[in-house]
Amino acid sequence: MNVEKMLIKCEFEQWLYDEAELLDDIEFDGWFDLMHSSLRYQMPVRVNKEGVERPDYSTDMFTFNDDIELLRLRVDRLKTDYAWAEIPPSRTRRFVSNVSVKDYIEGEKAIVKSYLLIYRSRSTDIQHDLISGERNDEFIFEDGKWKLSKRVFIVDQTTINTRNLAIFV
Amino acid sequence: MLKTDKSLEEMSKHQVVNYLNETVKPEEGVIPAYLLGDQKVYDIEHEKVFLKTWVFVGHESEVPNKGDFMTRELAGYSLIITRDGEGEIRAFYNMCTHRGMKLCRADKGNKSLFTCPYHGFNFKNTGELVGVPLQKDIYGGTLDRSEMGLHKVKLESYKGLLFGTWNEEAEPLEDFLGDIKWYLDLLVGRAEMEVIGVPQRFIVNSNWKVGSDNFVGDSYHTMVTHGSIAKLGMVPNATYSKRGFQIHMDNGHGLNLGTPNPDFAFPEELKEEFKSNLSEEQYEVLSNLKNMIGNVFPNLSFLISHTKIKDQFISNTSIRMWRPIGHNKMEVIAWMLVEKNASQDWKDRSRDSFILTFSPSGIFEQDDTEVFTDITEAAQGPMPFIKNLTYNYTMGLHREPVDFIGPGIAYDDKFTEASQRNFYKYWLELMTK
Repeated sequence: MNVEKMLIKCEFEQWLYDEAELLDDIEFDGWFDLMHSSLRYQMPVRVNKEGVERPDYSTDMFTFNDDIELLRLRVDRLKTDYAWAEIPPSRTRRFVSNVSVKDYIEGEKAIVKSYLLIYRSRSTDIQHDLISGERNDEFIFEDGKWKLSKRVFIVDQTTINTRNLAIFV
Repeated sequence: MLKTDKSLEEMSKHQVVNYLNETVKPEEGVIPAYLLGDQKVYDIEHEKVFLKTWVFVGHESEVPNKGDFMTRELAGYSLIITRDGEGEIRAFYNMCTHRGMKLCRADKGNKSLFTCPYHGFNFKNTGELVGVPLQKDIYGGTLDRSEMGLHKVKLESYKGLLFGTWNEEAEPLEDFLGDIKWYLDLLVGRAEMEVIGVPQRFIVNSNWKVGSDNFVGDSYHTMVTHGSIAKLGMVPNATYSKRGFQIHMDNGHGLNLGTPNPDFAFPEELKEEFKSNLSEEQYEVLSNLKNMIGNVFPNLSFLISHTKIKDQFISNTSIRMWRPIGHNKMEVIAWMLVEKNASQDWKDRSRDSFILTFSPSGIFEQDDTEVFTDITEAAQGPMPFIKNLTYNYTMGLHREPVDFIGPGIAYDDKFTEASQRNFYKYWLELMTK
């Protein structure tokens, strides 16, 4: 990998770290500002397939399938006094790794793959939930910033072992 | 306070059953908390409820083609559900009859032969054992393959809903469903319906009965638990959930039917199809339906929900199973269904409204799971039993049923707990049989 490619990778690593910090700090408005207006935010349902048959996730059923408007609705809901699922908010820690830039056009667009591990702790519960998966992200460069235009989160469980996804992936 | 000197742990099964008879009083609206937190009660439930009644296992549209199969659970045991070359749907215990290995480990797929990973025994999707490696050589022609077919499981269908049971003496499915069929017609019989994609699955640390109880009759919680939805303008106002009817019937089934609705909640262009599949009375109810939330005993809940998303009304139809994993843990399996002949735009919007409201990320669903978890936790261990903590299910005990166009015992708004009392009444009947 040459220096130029390393810098590009570094730039997106930093973007993903900043995003993780905003989500873990419950700064949803700040997080929402990272999204592009053409956003597609998806989490397909994972399926156990025979052998190596792929893809091993559903192409028509999702746990998230939001555009920018629906994502805004979720963020707004969390700010009402009735969003019990996150009252008090979960303590989350998002670990981002294995960042790999798949496609990159300077000042225009990029495709970045990364791994994500979310640690979630609710209330006084001594048990914690772990959500593991892979993100396939697409970015559009706008107003001097990289904005997320598409995220496909492929979760590593067919039965999700957390009570809900009132948190973002 | 009742017998505080007793301990559930030291009781025999017979004593537990007697104690249930003494302490569970659905008709008086008294349900003890220990029902949600005790392993012994859970074990008796497994034997007397889940191994006895019909339990939902899937929808016919999940195996649409010849050779399709899916694996499902029936009372804790894995099933293979297949559609054979003639289109017949069957269910088998997912266990090789030679040494007991799990035969199929995929959720779904298409094949007509299942090969055991242990010794390579081969079974057709009709259950017959058709191949045994080196058979002549090692068995010398003494092995009777016809005696070694897969164990067949009793399976019946109502309007595409597949139910299985381990109980060979179980009454016919249609008799068990009884009056709730009229409402299941509205849910899945109004048109040709299909499951979109695959079911959503997630784990909630909750006793399964909390889910059934919530869907069988609890619209009261909508005002508070789902207060955020009204604030966002997706439903008219916080008290909309009261309007309509609560209906219950034999065998513990029940529902809440939200009505009226100034808008038609279903695809307009399918009105003729709806009319041809429903009676006049059913079509009248469908035309005015705002929502329908119910539970087929023991653990199959269903829902039609009509909400405003992006300034446009859209309905979604879903069914969900509260699959018990332990006394304080369940898997929620949620299927989304849609009219097969609806436009692609309707299908997509309906699916996305389901994902937004009742999937694991759903903004209705997620607040429910928070409540389910905390109720279950508070019911665990010996204290709720020793102190005889009970829940109050007396809402609406003073009320008289009204005449309703459909079958069952109906009340003219949804804020009563008659359905929950009816659920527990049948539960107790099975538990103490």
